[in-house]
Amino acid sequence: MIGEKKLLKKLEAILGVSKADHTEITFIGSNSSLTRYANSQIHQNVAENNHTVHFKTVVGNKIGVATTNSMSTSDLKQTLNDSIEIAKQQPENPHFPGLSKPAKYKTLNTFDEATAKCSAKDRANIVKRIIAESDAAKFTVAGSLATSHGEIAIINSNGVQAYQPTTSASVICIPMSDTSSGYTSDMSRKISDIDFDSIAKIAISKCDLSQNPKQVEPDTYEVILEPPAVAEMMEWLNYVSFGSKPYERGMSFLSGKEGKKITSDQITIYDNALSAKSVAFPFDMEGSPKKKVYFVKNGIAGGPVYDRLAALKSGKKSTGHAVTPDESEGGAFGMNIHVAPGNAKRSEMIKKVKKGILVTRFHYINGMIDPGNSVLTGMTRDGTFWIENGEIQYGIKNLRFTDSVMKAFKSVKAISKETSRVESWWSAVGCMNCPTIHLGKFRFSGKTEH
Amino acid sequence: MKNKLLQTTKYLKDKGVDYADCRFVSTKSESLSVDHDGVEGMSRNLDVGVGIRVLANGAWGFAATADITEASLKKTANQALSIAKASAITTKEKVVLAKQKVAKDHYRTPFKKDPFEISTEEKINLLSQACKILKDKKQIRTTNGQMTFHKIKKLFVSTEGAVIEQDLMESGAGIEVVASNGKESQRRSYPNSFGGDFATRGYEFIESMNLPDHAERIREEAIELLTADSCPDEITTVILGGPLLALQVHESCGHPTELDRALGTEISLAGGSFMTPDKLNKLKYGSDIVNIYADATTKGGLGTFGYDDEGVKARRIPLIKKGKFVGYLSSRETAPVIGRKSSGAMRADGWNRLPLVRMVNVNLEPGSWELDDLIKDTKKGIFFDLNKSWSIDDRRLNFQFGSECAWEIKNGKLGRMFKNPVYTGITPEFWNSCDAICNKNHWHVWGLPNCGKGEPMQTAHVAHGTAPARFRNVRVGVVK
Repeated sequence: MIGEKKLLKKLEAILGVSKADHTEITFIGSNSSLTRYANSQIHQNVAENNHTVHFKTVVGNKIGVATTNSMSTSDLKQTLNDSIEIAKQQPENPHFPGLSKPAKYKTLNTFDEATAKCSAKDRANIVKRIIAESDAAKFTVAGSLATSHGEIAIINSNGVQAYQPTTSASVICIPMSDTSSGYTSDMSRKISDIDFDSIAKIAISKCDLSQNPKQVEPDTYEVILEPPAVAEMMEWLNYVSFGSKPYERGMSFLSGKEGKKITSDQITIYDNALSAKSVAFPFDMEGSPKKKVYFVKNGIAGGPVYDRLAALKSGKKSTGHAVTPDESEGGAFGMNIHVAPGNAKRSEMIKKVKKGILVTRFHYINGMIDPGNSVLTGMTRDGTFWIENGEIQYGIKNLRFTDSVMKAFKSVKAISKETSRVESWWSAVGCMNCPTIHLGKFRFSGKTEH
Repeated sequence: MKNKLLQTTKYLKDKGVDYADCRFVSTKSESLSVDHDGVEGMSRNLDVGVGIRVLANGAWGFAATADITEASLKKTANQALSIAKASAITTKEKVVLAKQKVAKDHYRTPFKKDPFEISTEEKINLLSQACKILKDKKQIRTTNGQMTFHKIKKLFVSTEGAVIEQDLMESGAGIEVVASNGKESQRRSYPNSFGGDFATRGYEFIESMNLPDHAERIREEAIELLTADSCPDEITTVILGGPLLALQVHESCGHPTELDRALGTEISLAGGSFMTPDKLNKLKYGSDIVNIYADATTKGGLGTFGYDDEGVKARRIPLIKKGKFVGYLSSRETAPVIGRKSSGAMRADGWNRLPLVRMVNVNLEPGSWELDDLIKDTKKGIFFDLNKSWSIDDRRLNFQFGSECAWEIKNGKLGRMFKNPVYTGITPEFWNSCDAICNKNHWHVWGLPNCGKGEPMQTAHVAHGTAPARFRNVRVGVVK
């Protein structure tokens, strides 16, 4: 960690020598560590100290972007000049929206000293406890435990000065028997928020309950989708539909449907980086303040997230969802996707299922088949159960689903009050927050051997 | 830099570690994205750092830093050592490394034109020319052309005495178009979907694609897709085009033959493999004409290099021979577990990542058919083109892939177009149903620059040599 004062001073000094008409610097620094375990022992254990500095320079209406991970003043100046050279070589960009202007950001506590100080030995000792729990149950166990601390700063020639320190901690636990596996995960800005003993116990009980799974034929069933399963679906819907680019292309299931009813009234899906239920963060990579955006509100379709360029093209305002300038051609992107909770309790939801399937999580979902109709496919994994007469009966072999999520979300029977944070593949500055959802109809299209 | 790495490995050797290696990697990248309106984005990136891997008390530690001063490298070496000692808290079986010939060598990617020496104007003009043709119909909603280049310098030094330098060059490009009728949108790409084709070659590779020459065809196909029939739901014969078959090889042969995955060490993210060591030399993976091999020496392949990231020389290893499962992609740590030597497949996606068992170029040997003859020989079936969607279970058995478009085959001729086509199956059943593979005239090495694996996530650049092939009794449709 360089620290706010020292870092901003260094970046300002570089900004001060820029010969471009406008200049923006995005700094991302991180110290991240990850302890990975499998076959009940640590097999990979890594730490990384890195920082990236992105320069976006504007000459007339021409834009250049260059990035370095060196913090030496000479390398920073060289990269700044590279970005100016790139800008000069380009044609005029008629859509350039200008750089962001100073704004007020929500004050958020995103840093935890104890998480930042968590050592390799601390992590190994937590993993040792998880392994001991699994040994006692006579299961092998795999998973990972990650901690990180870092800082993000954005400054530009319009006077924007944004800085935020961050920490995060996350865990995955997958106990395995010869015929089954279980799963739990959690994440937070603070490692002390994670109850590792409970994580191990829940995953072990799922592994135990799903031993010697039976085969169920693919068909349309009632389902209970637990938070990791819902989050996996949201992650793909976010990728193929919630961003500005797929919306602009007409490939999002939201395209052309704004204001129309597309799901049950009970479904509300939104991006909110400012919520304590998320891993909160106050601004995007252009320095625009984060705003809450509804993709679906009480079953009615909303719009996508925007960065400054996409907003200008669409006659909207930025919602604060710009990515780093080197990846900006992909458009704005949601990073804190929430599915709003309902009023039900998980146990009561299961009691109301006459015949159906409980899905702990999905594996390898893909949403590219027919994104305009929100069609996803994927496999169940690590704890799939048959429910009959309101009780979980036994584990079943994994199934493939292929279905339109919005069509399935028309059959919502209940949504849980409790929600869980689930780590996102895409982002270090966000996560998913999802409840358990009970659907009346969900289509499984294939089966596998385990 | 060499002296700094030699000093660091000596420092660790003096500390009494079992083994250590240091990797310096400097990657210079350029990416360019253009649409019919102009330049969407262009950026250059320089990424430099050192990763240090230490084996101590039979357990691994890895630490990486972007600060490459001597003081920082010493601090990072100490950090890697203390992480290894922490790992040892849970050790049940100590790591044993396969013996390896110690190399001192320098490898360079052969190429003709350095893409970093080609003017930005020339690159923009080529993509703009293609995008202009792509946009030339009212149904066209968006167009895109992109290029990506990486110049990578690597230096590997180990406590065993290895000193290996590598200068690698990667180039890639592609175009795509989205057509829309207001109700739905459809996409077509060239030469492959998701960014195009990639190789360890220079700018001559981009020129060989003749991007503008293919723009009109994919534009018209994208428009035709808007009124095409949906793919029927049935069991039928399929012919997979080369680029789609490359992904099929990737997901259903490349990943399950990674030995770390088969030994259970990828469970926490990507899952395991049905191709476990007890099935080696026993499993009838495919029909007798199916021969698949890993080859890090394939000319121009995106998975081509001189040495892997633990100093093992690039080589060719059979994975499937006459349909039988005979080999794994492996490392110095995993290979001894099954009594073999490393296949040279240990790769990291940068200085800041631990090397993992990854694919190199995993290639399907060509067969004997001309594509026209293969279609003529097929009475009823479907020809699937470029990949659009992909999904496979956590043991790599049940897969489902979709393509951008497909054509009906009726009485030996290509007929009507199908939109949103999908096929699904179980890996060994599918490969055992393969009864024809096209010949070397149709064989091409397709570069895939986006293979995800590991925690923290790593993106490997791999490739697959394939020619179109036919499979019988395959379920297609699926999407209602």
